[in-house]
Amino acid sequence: MNDLIALHNIVKVYPPNVLAVDDVSVSFCKGEIHSIVGENGAGKSTLMKLLYGLVPFDSGRIEFGGVNVRFRKPGDAIAMGIGMVHQEIVLIPQYSVWENVVLGAEPVRTLGRIDSRTAIDAVRSKIEEFQFNLDPLAIVDDISVAARQKVEILKLLFRNVSVLILDEPTAVLTPQEIPQLFAELKRLRDRGHTILFISHRLDEVLELSDRITIMRKGRKVATVEASETNKESLATMMVGRQVIFTSKRTPHQRGELVFEAQHVDWERGDGLKLLDDVSFSVHAGEIVGIAGVEGNGQFELVNSIMGLEQPTRGSFLVKGKDITSLSILERRKLISFVPQDRGKMGASLSASILDNAIMTHHRLEKRFSRWHGLVLDYRKARDFVDMLKERFSVQMASRQSDFRSLSGGNQQKVILARELLLATPFFLMDQPTRGLDVGSIEYVHGEILAMREADRAVLLISADLEELFLVADRILVMHRGCIVADLMTEKTTIEEVGAYMLGGRASA
Amino acid sequence: MNVLIGLITGMISGATPILLAALGGTFTFYAGVFNIAMEGMMLMAAFFAVLGSFFFHSWVIGLAFGVLGSLTLALIFILFSVKLETDEFVTGIALNLFALGITTYFLRQIFKVKGVFTSKSIVPVPQLHIPFIEKIPFVGPVLSGRNLIVYIAVIATVFCYYLIFKTRFGLRLRAAGYNADSLDSSGVRTSRIRMQALLLCALFCGLGGAFLSLGYVTLFAENMTAGRGWISLAAIILVDGHPYGIAAISLLFGFFDGLGLFLQNYGVASQFTAMIPYIATLFALYVYAQRRREKKRKRV
Repeated sequence: MNDLIALHNIVKVYPPNVLAVDDVSVSFCKGEIHSIVGENGAGKSTLMKLLYGLVPFDSGRIEFGGVNVRFRKPGDAIAMGIGMVHQEIVLIPQYSVWENVVLGAEPVRTLGRIDSRTAIDAVRSKIEEFQFNLDPLAIVDDISVAARQKVEILKLLFRNVSVLILDEPTAVLTPQEIPQLFAELKRLRDRGHTILFISHRLDEVLELSDRITIMRKGRKVATVEASETNKESLATMMVGRQVIFTSKRTPHQRGELVFEAQHVDWERGDGLKLLDDVSFSVHAGEIVGIAGVEGNGQFELVNSIMGLEQPTRGSFLVKGKDITSLSILERRKLISFVPQDRGKMGASLSASILDNAIMTHHRLEKRFSRWHGLVLDYRKARDFVDMLKERFSVQMASRQSDFRSLSGGNQQKVILARELLLATPFFLMDQPTRGLDVGSIEYVHGEILAMREADRAVLLISADLEELFLVADRILVMHRGCIVADLMTEKTTIEEVGAYMLGGRASA
Repeated sequence: MNVLIGLITGMISGATPILLAALGGTFTFYAGVFNIAMEGMMLMAAFFAVLGSFFFHSWVIGLAFGVLGSLTLALIFILFSVKLETDEFVTGIALNLFALGITTYFLRQIFKVKGVFTSKSIVPVPQLHIPFIEKIPFVGPVLSGRNLIVYIAVIATVFCYYLIFKTRFGLRLRAAGYNADSLDSSGVRTSRIRMQALLLCALFCGLGGAFLSLGYVTLFAENMTAGRGWISLAAIILVDGHPYGIAAISLLFGFFDGLGLFLQNYGVASQFTAMIPYIATLFALYVYAQRRREKKRKRV
């Protein structure tokens, strides 16, 4: 195979002393899909940013098509034919698809007037060429996330790039949208494009790639042929130890009734019922999972339980006590909560780790304050954080560092620890492992199972079916605001749950 | 009849400076610059227009000086807020205060007067008489004989619409405000677009300010913009920066401005009539907020 891009001994140090990329040499061929996998912070994204010119590297060299190159800014890379699609989609929602595609390379007529007909025709022919199934006139705000991602790719193809770097493109897609993206990427490869795919989802990587480069702690571990490896060996190389993908769930007797939802409805302002007669219960020592395609009422259910929204009908009970009209603080005495959005609802990114760790505790527990709650007792708070750090092995520079400075896995550990240490009978978790790497996911799963051993009632909402099958005792499926199935994990299959998720199958 | 013509011409005169400033502000509005310095830019222009016109006995030089005065302010804005990345709001406040201070200072130092400077040597911007149309009853006296800058403002409205919505510059300008990261990653430097927007803003505010001191009246008074820059900001926000909407809003304010002057002839105290444009602004904001709340309620 011919090497199109070759990285030689690349080193990147983030001041003062973080070695992000450590002497990495790797080459990418023309017309291959090459995945770069690694845990969060393994240096895979940094490596791609170095190649793309977003971040300068400290030593080493990059060859592109046989000549040494060094891009100073993204525009240089695009001009040479290398484009990158970032994790967050950066399009202009108010603009149409074609306006987004041509922005920065607009065809113009006299007086700077945009030649929209030429532009639309050009965009349309690109869409047809790559079979992207997009309407060039659609407004980006109205199209799905998957379609927006296609617009990003199209934007680069419009600039005639031959190499596409995709930074975790599947993170924002629903499970149904992923196969389509993969089909399109494979089609691009077959037309001679080179695709560099960053991910930490091993199943996807194995399905899509020709070759896989594994990174760990800034170093390249190996480059392997996808056909000659498997998930277990990739995970072992990524994490540096064996990862177990089978459930460690042991039989456990469930206890008394803890949480109950009774005939809960929630109507949106326009009368659309997003929760429709939702009833279920969770017992002590039981983990109940809620599966469902996103947007089928899970978000509204969580908000209603936590008191962010008021249900239009029905009630929630914790240990027999009706909480439906309680304030959020009152509810927090009974419910521990891990929200899906770590950076917004779960924590304050710009507050310190200490502040984040004692949130809620400082309101509910007298020991953290003096003078009848007027003044925080920081000595106690510091002890608390040290204990938390020790017990949950959180990697942090100092208690006073910004929460933002923690890695995703460590952020989630702090939130999880904070919620675990609240003495509540009921634990509500909304997508607790989203965006975490394999090692951290394993940790979170371990903690969830430990809660069950401690006889707490756990409600786990997850879009990841494998996760539910690993930890949940019982799986409820939500479809269009209704609970359409209540299945014992041992007596069902991923396929059955998937069918309920998509069709809300009534008979079966 | 004459009363009506008087009201309409008063409305046009009152609307012109607000329209020009708001058109200027539209560029920064779309470019994503929180620019509140229109007031200061206009005041600088009003002063330097009088200065140029007085010393060179030419309204052309007066206009040029006015625009240069407001461009100076824009350059300071660019230096601080685009290059040094200071807070735009604080920068804007500082520049407005600076403009008020420096024009008052120069007024006293150069012209040795307090409050108002007026002189026969200040050459105003001429009125434009359009042949034929002039002769038409009623329409003639309204359309013809207006100040040159009024006609510039009308053309500017169409020009701004074209520039913002039809051209490459406009596409990039709006992109800068909607999502700067997207524009940057498309290979266009947002900071450069924002600089151009600020310079354009200064150009239009310059014309608006010059109109105040060389058209609306022929004199310079301390703080003579009297909040018109702020009203223009309100106008932009009210119509989401659409040039034609801005023209309509400006005419509305112009009407209240003219109405104030008109009512003075009927013995209403000037302190009260002077309030009218500001009360109208508050009222318009209230209506706008209500309408937006209504829209939001419908959407959710």
